[in-house]
Amino acid sequence: MIPLPNPELILFTTALGLVAIGLAGLALSRHLFRTVLALVIAEAGANLMLVLAGYRWDAVAPILTHLGEQPPMVDPVPQAMVLTAIVIGVGVQALAVSILIRIRQLYGTLERSTVAEKMSAEIAASAGTARDISQEAPLGERPLPPLPGAISEARGGKS
Amino acid sequence: MNSLIVLPIVLPLLGAFLLPLLMRLSVGLGVWVGPAILIYDGWLLAEQWFSGTALPFSLAIGGFAPPLGINLYIDALALLFAFSVQLLGLLFWPFRLDQESARRQSLMLLLVASSTGLALSGDLFNLYVFYELVAVATFGLIAVSATGAAYAATLRYLILSGIGSVLTLLGIALIYGQTGTLNLAHLAQLAPHQLNDTLGLTAFLLILIGVGVKAELFPVNTWVPEVYATASSRLSAFLAGLVSKLALLIILRLLVLVFYQPEALQVMLVLGILGVVSGELAAWRAKDVRRMLAFSSIGQLGMIFIALAMPDGAGLLAVLALAFHHLVIKSGLFSLADGWGGAIDQLRGAAKASPLAAALFVLFALSLIGFPPLPGFWAKFTLITELASQTSPLYLIGLTVFLLATVVEASYLFRLVATLYEKSPDETEPAETPKPAGLSLVTASLFGLGLLATTLFIAPVGDLLSHVSAQTGNVNLYIDTVMAGQTGGSR
Repeated sequence: MIPLPNPELILFTTALGLVAIGLAGLALSRHLFRTVLALVIAEAGANLMLVLAGYRWDAVAPILTHLGEQPPMVDPVPQAMVLTAIVIGVGVQALAVSILIRIRQLYGTLERSTVAEKMSAEIAASAGTARDISQEAPLGERPLPPLPGAISEARGGKS
Repeated sequence: MNSLIVLPIVLPLLGAFLLPLLMRLSVGLGVWVGPAILIYDGWLLAEQWFSGTALPFSLAIGGFAPPLGINLYIDALALLFAFSVQLLGLLFWPFRLDQESARRQSLMLLLVASSTGLALSGDLFNLYVFYELVAVATFGLIAVSATGAAYAATLRYLILSGIGSVLTLLGIALIYGQTGTLNLAHLAQLAPHQLNDTLGLTAFLLILIGVGVKAELFPVNTWVPEVYATASSRLSAFLAGLVSKLALLIILRLLVLVFYQPEALQVMLVLGILGVVSGELAAWRAKDVRRMLAFSSIGQLGMIFIALAMPDGAGLLAVLALAFHHLVIKSGLFSLADGWGGAIDQLRGAAKASPLAAALFVLFALSLIGFPPLPGFWAKFTLITELASQTSPLYLIGLTVFLLATVVEASYLFRLVATLYEKSPDETEPAETPKPAGLSLVTASLFGLGLLATTLFIAPVGDLLSHVSAQTGNVNLYIDTVMAGQTGGSR
């Protein structure tokens, strides 16, 4: 038997791990839906952290107040805060998904780089400026100089 | 009397949710609800200011005394910000007499309610909730434009803001785990013993980055140019002018009351310097007016962060001066961008079409750069003298960057001014030049008038600001007011 480490340690590691996974997902995923999912994971980690901030292992739920001798209670404040944070999180995520649907309807894709490309093109078009330098289509494409005479002849062109 | 101060939060919130129903019943009645609420709240706050109530005072919500309950903390700074929220909300109100604008108006009311909450609340978690409400209202208001770019920009903002709220929550969890309280005054009491270590620093940095998303702090401000370029100019004016300052206010309160470690200040100084450099250079490169203003706003906020990073509250006066100056200037400039939003090249000769707008632009530009008699000069001058009196080399780097940034600022702003007054090459079609819309021109003129009035009465305004900054920097006053002044609510 491997001795189990302290459960508190496991939970704290889990919370920070979830946040780390979420942040990594935000940085690395190429699809916008996955970005939103990564945000969900990170928020779960933060919420777990908040619950842990007030949890006591030797205590009872704070609603049981009329027991014979009063045992210590778990701090209810972080739990109330986590409820609030979860509700806010769910609302924001629903909003994110509905915006994703609109982006998909208008741009036909949720690929992160393509969407960014189309967005900057649209902003530039509506402002009437030249587009910024982009990864997909480099600016400054000029007509090439004609082929040197010798090569051109060898390929059967006019000299 | 004092407890009426909750109304500026409650009334717009109530209005925001009742407005869609009311609009369904009667459009003619519904359109007046929002402005009426804002005017009443503005009057209420102004009366609070002038009625001679002893400021600051604290109001316990629901009758629970502050360390346990949530309190509102009302001092001169909070009142000033809350009043600015009502005023700017009214100036940038989405006036339109139809059913369609119901959505926009109720979101605007939500934004006003939560912004007022940000200005007044004295509890860290309550601040977080209002902060998220501001975010949600903002997402809605940007997405109302209903173009692909607006949706994409909203999503980018939403994701960054989501990262911000995760980090803020982590910071809050760390603070709560360590101290067991989230009341700012109680935290201020406990901080010297319990948060004066690496854990406290970590918590502050997490919250700094988290809240910094809206304060346009350097690494988390990539949403700024896209959002300001796609949202309506009037909304951008509200966001750049006010919401960024409210996020700044949270950081300021935390810094003054809870975290004053030198490491925290240094990190903020470095981020501020990077913000100034990146913002001003990007603004110099920008080819359209809105993005130029957006990047310039990042640079300006960077300057405020440099001021905020000064030890022992030396920079508080400079912070407030720069913040309120930027509030007026950027709101005015963005109102001008309503109609002048396109490429800079298209504005050739626009001064002929609308001389008033061009004159206002020159006025704002001069003040933003810091031309002597205008208020911008005094704001920058305060910061420069404070920076120059610091001995640490990092602050001198900050000073150098600040001065260089001013040169860059002058360069791109005057390039635009020169374009405005340039004669258009073909005199045949002068009708092509864009003009700012009438309503926005009026708004911009009001800001211009305000700026000129401040120039005339610079001495009283300066006295007022130094009084406010002294009051803000007084930690003991804050603690005493909140922890002892629990009677404030019951009166």
